[in-house]
Amino acid sequence: MAVPAVKIDHLTKIYSADLGKKPMCAVDDLNLEVEQGEVFAFLGPNGAGKTTTIKTMMRLLFPTRGFVEIFGIPNLSVKAMRSVGFLPEQPQIYGYLTGREFLDFTARLFRLDRSTRKKRIDDCLEQVGLIKRADGLIRGYSRGMMQRLGLAQALINDPELLVLDEPMSNLDPVGRKEFRDLILELKDKGKTLFFSSHILSDAEMIADRVGIVNQGRLVNTGKLRDLIEAQIRSIEITFIMTPDKTAKLGFEQANIVQQDEHMLVRLENDADVQRTIGDIMRLDGRIVSVVPQKRTLEDIFMTELGG
Amino acid sequence: MSVLTIAMNTFRESIRNRVMINILLFAVGLILLSIVLGEWSLGEQIKVIKDFGLSAMSIFGLLIAIFIGIRLMVQELEQRTIYLIASKPIRRWEIVLGKYSGLALTLIVNVILMAVTLLVVNLIIEGRIDLGLLPAVFLIYIEILLIVAFALFFSSLMSPQLSALATLILYMLGHLTNFLYEYIRVFPDKGFHWLLKGIYYIVPNLEKLNLKMAVVDHVPQPPHVVAWATAYGLCYIVIVLILTAAVFNKKDLK
Ligand SMILES: Nc1ncnc2c1ncn2[C@@H]1O[C@H](COP(=O)(O)OP(=O)(O)O)[C@@H](O)[C@H]1O
Ligand SMILES: [Mg+2]
Repeated sequence: MAVPAVKIDHLTKIYSADLGKKPMCAVDDLNLEVEQGEVFAFLGPNGAGKTTTIKTMMRLLFPTRGFVEIFGIPNLSVKAMRSVGFLPEQPQIYGYLTGREFLDFTARLFRLDRSTRKKRIDDCLEQVGLIKRADGLIRGYSRGMMQRLGLAQALINDPELLVLDEPMSNLDPVGRKEFRDLILELKDKGKTLFFSSHILSDAEMIADRVGIVNQGRLVNTGKLRDLIEAQIRSIEITFIMTPDKTAKLGFEQANIVQQDEHMLVRLENDADVQRTIGDIMRLDGRIVSVVPQKRTLEDIFMTELGG
Repeated sequence: MSVLTIAMNTFRESIRNRVMINILLFAVGLILLSIVLGEWSLGEQIKVIKDFGLSAMSIFGLLIAIFIGIRLMVQELEQRTIYLIASKPIRRWEIVLGKYSGLALTLIVNVILMAVTLLVVNLIIEGRIDLGLLPAVFLIYIEILLIVAFALFFSSLMSPQLSALATLILYMLGHLTNFLYEYIRVFPDKGFHWLLKGIYYIVPNLEKLNLKMAVVDHVPQPPHVVAWATAYGLCYIVIVLILTAAVFNKKDLK
C-alpha cells in the first residue's frame, strides 16, 4: 500500500496565552490520513480548527503535540514542501507586484528554471482565468481575483498535493463552477486534494471522502456516499389535487404540506410510495414530481454537532 | 538561491515604496541645501558642509533603516503575506537572511545616492572632491547595517511601535557607551552599576563607527582603524542575525 499523501498523527495545537487571552486548544488530538489521489474535504463550522490544522500541516504553526507527514516525509523538512501547493484562507499578496511578477517570485522559490517558469506561469494564469489581468498591480485586484491568483501560485510547482483553505469562499457562482471543474481535472491527473470548507454543499459534488471537525476534534470521517446512503431515504411526492380529494388518501393532516394548489407528502418506504401514486392517479390528481430525499451533509452535520 | 529570490523581492518592494523614496529625496535635498548653510558660516564653510552632510547621512540612514526594516517585516507578518513564503520549500533562516540582504542592498543604494550628492556639493564649493570623506561614509553604512539588523530582531519579537522605540534607544545608547563607561569609572556604585555594565557590554559602541569629526578635520585614518571598526560591526551583525533567525525559526506565524 502506498504511503498516504497526508498523515496527521495525534495533532494537538494549543495557542499560547498572549496578552489578556487564555490558552486556547484549537486542535485536540486529531488523527487523519488522506490517501494518494483522493479528494478530501475537511468540514466544520467556523472556529472548528480547520485553519489551525492546515497551518500546522504547512508548518506555519508548530504542533504542541503530534506530527504531520506529507508523502511519508515529516512536514518540517523542506523536502516535504516541494510537492505541495497551498492556498491560505483569504490569501494576502504583495500589492506592489503584478500577478505575473508574483508568480515568477513563487516559481523561483521552487527553484524552477527560466523556461519552466515561463511555461508554468502562463499555464497557471490560463487555468485560473487570470491571464488578462496578469500584468496589473495586485493592489488593484478584487477579492475574487486575489483568490484566483492564490490558486495559481498554489499550482505553480505542478504539486502532487494541493492544500486549500476555504478555496470557494471569495468566488462568485461562475468562479465556483470553474473551481469545481479544475478540481476534477486535477483529480483526473492523479493529484491529491485536501480542502476545507464550512459550506457543506461545496464538498458534496466533488469530495471522495470527508472529515468533519468540531471544537478541534475529528468527529466523523467517511466516504461521502456511505455517510449519505447509510441514512433512511425519504421520498417526496408533489401533486395537484383538491383538498377534499387529498383527504381521501388517508394521511394525517399534519403530514401533508399545502403550497397554493400543490400538495406535498413525504414517505419513507417504497410500498407506500407505489400505493400513494396509484391512489392519486385514480382520484384524477396530477403528479408533479417524485423526488428521493438523500440525507445531506447538512443533516449529518447537524446530528454530529447536536449529539 | 532562495535567499537571493527573497532579497531581490525585498529590494524591489523598498524601491517601489513611496515613503522610502520620499525620505531619500528629502535627505538628498537637505544635503544640497547645505550649500546655503555654508554661506552663513563664513570661513568654516566647507567644514560645516561636510560635517552637516555626513550627519544627515547618518540620521537619514537611521530613519530609513528603522522605517523600512521594521515596516517590511511587520507588514509581512501582519498582512499574512508571509504564509505564501514560509509554506514554500524554504527554511526560516533563509527568509531572514534574504530580507536582510535585500535591505542591505536598498541601503547601499541610499547611501551611495546621499554620498554622491555630498561629493557634488563638495565639488561645487571647494572645486575638488575630498575622497577623504569615504572612510566615514563607509562606516556610516556599516552602522546603518547594524541598526537594521537590530530593527529586524526587535520586530520579530514585539510590536512595530515598540520595535521602532527600541531601535531608537539602541541607537542613542550606542553613541553614549563611552559616557557610560566614564560614569561607571568615576562615580561610586549606588547599586545599579550592574545594569549600566550590562548595557555597556551588550550595546554596540557606535562611536567606533563614527569617523565624521576625524575626516572633516583631516586627521589621517590608518587603514587598520577602518578595518577593525568594520570587523567589529560585522561581528555584531552576524550575532544579531543569528538571534533573529533563531527567534523566527520557532515562531508561530499566527
Ligand atoms: N492566533 C490565535 N490565537 C488564539 N486563538 C486562535 C488563534 N487563531 C485561531 N484561534 C482560535 O482557535 C479556534 C480554531 O480556529 P480556526 O482554526 O481558525 O478555525 P476554522 O478555520 O475551522 O474556522 C477558534 O476558536 C479560534 O478563535
Ligand atoms: Mg478557517
